[in-house]
Amino acid sequence: MSAAVPSAPEATSAHSVRELRRAVRRRWGFRLSVLLGWAAFVGVWYVVSLYLLTPQQLPQPHVVATEAGELLSQRDFGRNFQASILRVVAGFLLALLASVGLGLLIAYNRWWRRFLVNTLLFLVSVPTVSFAILSLLVLGVSPMGPILNAMIVTTPYITMNLAQGLTGVDRRLIVMSEAFGRTRAQMITGILVPASLLSVLGGTRLAFAVAWRVGLLTEVFASADGIGLQIRRSFESYDIRGMLAWALLFIVIMLLIENLVFRQLERLLSRWRSPDGGAAP
Amino acid sequence: MATVLIENLTKVYPPTLNNPTQVQALGGLSMSITGNVFVAVVGPSGSGKTTLLNIVAGVERATAGSVRALQEGVPARVGYVFQEPRLLPWRTVVDNMLYVQDRKSDRSRREAEFYLQMVGLSDVADLYPSQLSGGMQQRVGIARAFLVNPDVLLLDEPFSHLDALTGRSLRDYMQRIWLQTRKTALFVTHDVTEAVELADRIVMLRPGGTAYDDIAVDLPRPRRHDDPAVRDMQDEVLRRFDAMGAAVRFGAHA
Amino acid sequence: MSDMRAREDLAGLRSLGARSGPKAPPTMRGFLQRPWFIGLLALGLLLLVWQWISWVNLQVPGVGEIARFMFTEISGGSHGGALSGEFWAPLAVSLQRYAVGLAIGVPVGAVLGMVIGGVRWARGLFNDTVLVLLALPAVVWAFLASLWFGLSSWGPILAVVLTVVPFMAVNISAGVRNVDPGLAEMSRSFGVPFGRRLHHLLFGGSLPSAFTGLRLSFMTGWNSLLIVEWFGSTSGVGWRARFWYDALRYPGFVGWIFLFVILITLLDRLLLSPLERRAFQWNQRPTLAFAEEA
Repeated sequence: MSAAVPSAPEATSAHSVRELRRAVRRRWGFRLSVLLGWAAFVGVWYVVSLYLLTPQQLPQPHVVATEAGELLSQRDFGRNFQASILRVVAGFLLALLASVGLGLLIAYNRWWRRFLVNTLLFLVSVPTVSFAILSLLVLGVSPMGPILNAMIVTTPYITMNLAQGLTGVDRRLIVMSEAFGRTRAQMITGILVPASLLSVLGGTRLAFAVAWRVGLLTEVFASADGIGLQIRRSFESYDIRGMLAWALLFIVIMLLIENLVFRQLERLLSRWRSPDGGAAP
Repeated sequence: MATVLIENLTKVYPPTLNNPTQVQALGGLSMSITGNVFVAVVGPSGSGKTTLLNIVAGVERATAGSVRALQEGVPARVGYVFQEPRLLPWRTVVDNMLYVQDRKSDRSRREAEFYLQMVGLSDVADLYPSQLSGGMQQRVGIARAFLVNPDVLLLDEPFSHLDALTGRSLRDYMQRIWLQTRKTALFVTHDVTEAVELADRIVMLRPGGTAYDDIAVDLPRPRRHDDPAVRDMQDEVLRRFDAMGAAVRFGAHA
Repeated sequence: MSDMRAREDLAGLRSLGARSGPKAPPTMRGFLQRPWFIGLLALGLLLLVWQWISWVNLQVPGVGEIARFMFTEISGGSHGGALSGEFWAPLAVSLQRYAVGLAIGVPVGAVLGMVIGGVRWARGLFNDTVLVLLALPAVVWAFLASLWFGLSSWGPILAVVLTVVPFMAVNISAGVRNVDPGLAEMSRSFGVPFGRRLHHLLFGGSLPSAFTGLRLSFMTGWNSLLIVEWFGSTSGVGWRARFWYDALRYPGFVGWIFLFVILITLLDRLLLSPLERRAFQWNQRPTLAFAEEA
């Protein structure tokens, strides 16, 4: 199908080898700079810990890493981690459910679009700490707080993506389907669902990051367990080492979930978008 | 045998925000097509060519007048090739083909592959549209239109978005498949030369959407674009086209 | 977290709002579509929901109660006993901290973002660090800052700076990287000098994402400030809310939390949106259309 690569004359081949070498050098140079960046990050941490502050105020990286390793081996970690993640997932699913209704309203009704978009925009701008503190008053210390807040905060993002997926559907594909006599159901499953699903999935990574952080914040204020509570406990007992270790685990988990779950899912579902069909990593 | 009867067809678009005056795309067009002929409709932009096809395909409604596309007295099955490929980007090529099929079976997949082969695309069935070039995507669009075994084939400037060489090769594919299948075809274009290459009959529209001229193209097939007879005919049709342009410019089209 | 996405999402949300068609005619239907009416309706609904919650949960104060309490608080009247209203003092303290934090964090983050976006090795060097800092929850910064600086103002300021820098850096670097390569080629072919390229091409091209970074920075910076003040401060609006919470005077506590929201909304409407409108005169951006409509 694609045109065959013409056999290159000598000069061009020498040239392309040079180009290739340069590209390889550039790639390794970049990798080196990334390594240097990490080294600098850890180095600065050591310097701040030893010279600017004291190791009590900012424990050195290896101390925090050891502490995190110890936490990992304790049963406590599994329990708190499970509590946190289940809440975030629950809030997330609730938000997804709410978004289907809201997204359809935004996409297909003008008045509701105005009303909801303005309200959702407002919701986005509310400082998350307000939700966290208010849930302490309204719900008390309960797992409902993190769940509800994760839902409230992620709903605008998911709804928005869904509505954009629905309104952004290519009209011409609909006309094509009509010309070929497709039924309404076939158009929904063939065009509307894939378009909106992909759009929603594009936003879930961000929504998850937001939910994960709001869940944590709410746990800090109003929860009987979870990573957030552990961070607060460490803070209240001036245990900076423990606090940073929990924070480190929190970040690692968040980045792992983002990269292993969501990025893969996105890649799987958007194979059609890339010119190589998603074959290359 | 398929017939397309177009009687006094009128289409007026009401004013919109972007365009506050109403637009008349078709102004009482009448023509009839009978049998397995390839009819080209040529006209400048704004002469309602796409509108005509959309109404025949049942995608748009006429303001007045009627269109009947019949096959042995029952509504004809339509295959449509659009200006752009209009493939579902998230479906593979073969799934795009099967999307327009009513029954899904091994047989329909084999049929899809057969038509893909006819447009020279036998090994792309499982690729996504984004992995194909523009010309290849358009060939899938052509194969899709033939796959539904249409009684009437509608072609809306399918070659106009392609570069000259790709367009020519696609016209050759089109001519070859048409010679094998002999479907009643309604081909809309602004390009007189490609109309002469493919059509048995050329209907010229003037701005405002009425017929200006009806020319029979009586040339043997398969035609080659560099055949002197084809060249002569192209010159002849172009002359008439220019004459229409002059007539329109000088207000003689009342 | 990907803040390019956040940018697109915010812009998209705004553009959806803008896509609601032309100004409605002054009929009953048109009246129902007026932005102020819709805003009022949303506000009314919110208050209604709150009132309902306060009936269900007796601990939660009602709207009237909150309004009365906040009136006393703002006018400096007596809350009974030795407690008198305090509003302007905590507000001034917090706004000062917020302003100083932003004044340090925004330029630092912007410069960092420009360097990361424009220089290849700098991207390798700093990108991961910025992403880790971004992933670190604000509450951890808040705790650290208050443990390091005790009750002084530097804790809240540092927390604002530390949350703002990665947000600005990520958005600006994305903006710089997204500058149309065709325009960059054009500039090079015309031999436009570096300074002018920086000003017109990089600065102009990254302006949209810079504004998103700014908006997100304003939001998250405010959030961090409130957290630090809640946990480790004896002044400022966050402390005041905590004060009433500890005193079990919930109308004051909730009233202040509502004020947090009102303040950030006002800031957006009065400062960011007009600025944005000026910056994007050349372009009918969707965000703009929304701002005009609101």
